[in-house]
Amino acid sequence: MKTLQLEFYKIKRRKVWFSMFAMLAVQLLWGMWSMRSPKDWELASGWMSLLYFLTVLDGLMMPTILSVLASRLADIEHKGNTYKQLRTLRPAGSLYHAKALCGLVIITVLLASQAAFFILLGYYHGYEGNPDPRYYLLSYGLKLACDLCLFLLQLLLSMLFANQMIALVAGLGGSMVALLLMFVSHYSFLPWGGNLNASIVGMEWDEASRISTYYYRCYSPVEIASVLSIFVWIAVFYAAGRVLFTHREE
Amino acid sequence: MQNLIETHNLTKRYGKALSVNTLNMKVPSGAVYGFLGPNGAGKSTTLKMVLGLVKPSAGAITLFGSPMDEKNRIRLLADTGSLIESPSYYGHLSGQENLHIIQTLKGCAKSDVDEVLKIVRLTDAKNKLAGHYSLGMKQRLGLAAALLGFPKLLILDEPTNGLDPAGIQEMRELICSLPAEYGITVVVSSHLLSEIDQMADHVGIIRKGELVYQDTLASLHAHAKEQLALRVSHTSLAADLLRKEGIETTQEEDYLLLPMVEDALAAKLVRHLLEENISLYRMEKRETSLEDIFLTLTGKESSL
Repeated sequence: MKTLQLEFYKIKRRKVWFSMFAMLAVQLLWGMWSMRSPKDWELASGWMSLLYFLTVLDGLMMPTILSVLASRLADIEHKGNTYKQLRTLRPAGSLYHAKALCGLVIITVLLASQAAFFILLGYYHGYEGNPDPRYYLLSYGLKLACDLCLFLLQLLLSMLFANQMIALVAGLGGSMVALLLMFVSHYSFLPWGGNLNASIVGMEWDEASRISTYYYRCYSPVEIASVLSIFVWIAVFYAAGRVLFTHREE
Repeated sequence: MQNLIETHNLTKRYGKALSVNTLNMKVPSGAVYGFLGPNGAGKSTTLKMVLGLVKPSAGAITLFGSPMDEKNRIRLLADTGSLIESPSYYGHLSGQENLHIIQTLKGCAKSDVDEVLKIVRLTDAKNKLAGHYSLGMKQRLGLAAALLGFPKLLILDEPTNGLDPAGIQEMRELICSLPAEYGITVVVSSHLLSEIDQMADHVGIIRKGELVYQDTLASLHAHAKEQLALRVSHTSLAADLLRKEGIETTQEEDYLLLPMVEDALAAKLVRHLLEENISLYRMEKRETSLEDIFLTLTGKESSL
């Protein structure tokens, strides 16, 4: 806990929260523009369409946002040449764990803020009824897992390479891969497809009526496997990062 | 006297290159141990192995009398402070905030932060961002971090690197004062003999990964050879005369070098020279300098 507190202390003045909320602000502006003047049929399925919209939004933006977050957390150690000092004071594993946990806390706050704002926006537009807490909690639980998976991958890259451009380019590349996956398949076993795999809402677009129909997805076995692959990736990236951090020689 | 650090056949191999070779270092308690060697001799690698930052290829390390392994490393290192190569700091945090992080990790008293800031004379700059410090101030901040908790053992790798002459002098004085004032044993590495000569009381000399000398600095000084150097009007005549007296000489430029002799014998030799009408221009005492000894031990091609 002490090591985790220090992680937050270390990012003081690094504008980590500012950069995260700036990214969230971009999402909000995008959402406000997309959800402007909803039609009646959109209001009827508003809460469901919102979950779908957020999945797409996160699928596209989170790889980049999380690459920035991981880079901010790891870069302070590269710039300050601090790994060698820290490793004489604490077991390397606990230092890595604190960094991963720090990222998880920030992601949780970010997602909670996102949910709060978009739900308020839904009420503002007059979506019918109330958001179903079961679906929202499930959806955000899965989002958290997907984002943790991407964050751990980015943390691994940010710690491995002192030049943060490598990790940032990987993050941007991840966003591109996610965009591509949206057009290719409902599922994939790639970490960048996690947000899309885990979407609990599906959408069908009727070209003739130009109306989108939203529904809660019924997963096929292979789709369930693609969701479970997120947890496998989490374990792999966490273990790889920890091994890398503990066995690196200064 | 207990040894705080003992290494037993410590070896580090990077591929085919042997960086440290069966090194047996012994650092006695209460000493300022100067770890001396040319650049690339293996000083930093050795110290990193002692701190567990680099895994030895072979050999063992005993710290505070206990064999160090991965399990007890952090517990043993709790009583050490270190400054390896360049100082570690978070540039976006102030000096005081940087020390707060180390103080929390070391679990020492908060008051230690102010005390070490005072020792390294950074109190006035404690609220300034460390990134805005001069190199000397960063080095002092690194030393302050190492001093937090006033550990039993301080490991400093080339702590005067990049400092101006005043900063170097200040750092030396501070290091020399640590054993007496705070009971801290110091290991300080350097490639400068003069620096170690001014700071250390024990010395280990490393060359190409091998420890070629280890003892007190006084013993190293005792290795210095004393000779008498004579400059006379007739060098070869004088050499013959001295040989008849049973004293072998060597000629170096205009000088005759002979082993150091008692004052009475020296006076007798001078008298003989004068009786043979050989004029004596100079009579000097010559000492093999520490530099000469160092170069002999480490090889003349090594940089100082």
